[in-house]
Amino acid sequence: MTVTGADMGFRLEATFVGFEAVLSLHGEVDLGSAPEFGAYLDWAIDQGHRFVVIDLGGLSFMDGSGLRVIGGAAERLQLSGGALSVRSPSTSIRRLFDIGGLADLVRLDQSIDSSDGVEIGTAVGIPVKSVSAASAGLSAFLKRMVALPADDEVVNGALRLVVALAQATVCGADGVSISLRRHGTLSTVAASDQVILAMDAGQYETGEGPCVDASVKGRRFHAEVLDIETRWPAFTPKALALGINSILSSPLEARKAPVGAINIYSRTTSAFAVKDQDLASVFAREASVILSDARVDMTDQQLDDRMSQALRNRELISQAQGVIMHRDGIGEDLAYTKLRRDSLRNGRPLHDRAQEVVDSARHRLEASDHLLEGEHG
Amino acid sequence: MDDSPVDLLDSYRIDAQLSNGELWLRYFELGGMSTGVDLEAFLLGFLQPSIHDHDVIAHALNERFVEMGGNHPVAYLEDTKHV
Repeated sequence: MTVTGADMGFRLEATFVGFEAVLSLHGEVDLGSAPEFGAYLDWAIDQGHRFVVIDLGGLSFMDGSGLRVIGGAAERLQLSGGALSVRSPSTSIRRLFDIGGLADLVRLDQSIDSSDGVEIGTAVGIPVKSVSAASAGLSAFLKRMVALPADDEVVNGALRLVVALAQATVCGADGVSISLRRHGTLSTVAASDQVILAMDAGQYETGEGPCVDASVKGRRFHAEVLDIETRWPAFTPKALALGINSILSSPLEARKAPVGAINIYSRTTSAFAVKDQDLASVFAREASVILSDARVDMTDQQLDDRMSQALRNRELISQAQGVIMHRDGIGEDLAYTKLRRDSLRNGRPLHDRAQEVVDSARHRLEASDHLLEGEHG
Repeated sequence: MDDSPVDLLDSYRIDAQLSNGELWLRYFELGGMSTGVDLEAFLLGFLQPSIHDHDVIAHALNERFVEMGGNHPVAYLEDTKHV
């Protein structure tokens, strides 16, 4: 059985054997063809096919809308005791699944020997069950990525993952971006495509728009129907010209201060239901965690100052250790323990106590110098 | 084994509201010699820190708890090993 979608770039072939349905996709699954694919998949499940195999071998492109269809069907099948497998995903589609985290729901097979129907590939589990689970897993992963002093590349890579996940899961999202204020200037650090980049740029140029307001005022700005929007007269015509009709910008915070926004754009008016707005907040929080860990709220000067302070304190503690080792005739670690116990006893930070030890030693040295000078004088 | 000191260190870090990177900076400031990767492994219990390293991490955490108005809840191995 072959179904050719209204979108001519998409074709679906279906084979049914008992409870199993094999749907082979060809061409492109995007916003235009995803509804048709979803409707057909729903119909196949309604017919009692509890084991669905989606063969992506003939697919040249799939975006987040296709991922949503597959995720929804997998969830439905799992609830009814069935299962959904995906065959022959390309590396990029595999990555999309990976980012989305559909592991517990979808089984990804490497390949299949189509001549006898025997699977020869290895089943690979891939992380995304529900939005909250995906988000939690992502968070742990991203926290690992930014565990080390983060450079821009690491942070931007993590934010690109948030953008991909937001686009894959927020209904109505045709594009997503993350704007970040660095060194006083807003710029886009992750965007789903060129149109979205242009949308952000339009706001930076005019100095207005939901993204600008969210990132400055630290609260969500929702333009439901751009046609009747009056808050951003210079920017709105640019958005409409690019075919965008609704925008949802949620603020990103680092250490409780607004530093940017996650912007979700749609070609549809009133595209974002309350649950999508809540979902946007989830991703905003996720990105905020990344940004807080990366300390993007600190200026270069502040970072330099913090590093210099750490180095100064480290040196001071080392000097104090040396003084105690010399004074008490003990080893390095024991000298450290002594210093640490003193600091706790006196309720002072270790570097303060170290300063006192070093100062005291210096005074003793100066006093003995004076004494020597006196004796010789 | 679940409540051994190394297993608990990461939960203290979370309570102290410190990122791994920020804790590493504090640990380094106090004289710590291990890399951020090693520190993360210590926190999660994948690697066993030396007694001295453990106590430097513990102190970095305790100083943070004091800043937050608390006490110093993380035990020092050097102080407990002779008890």
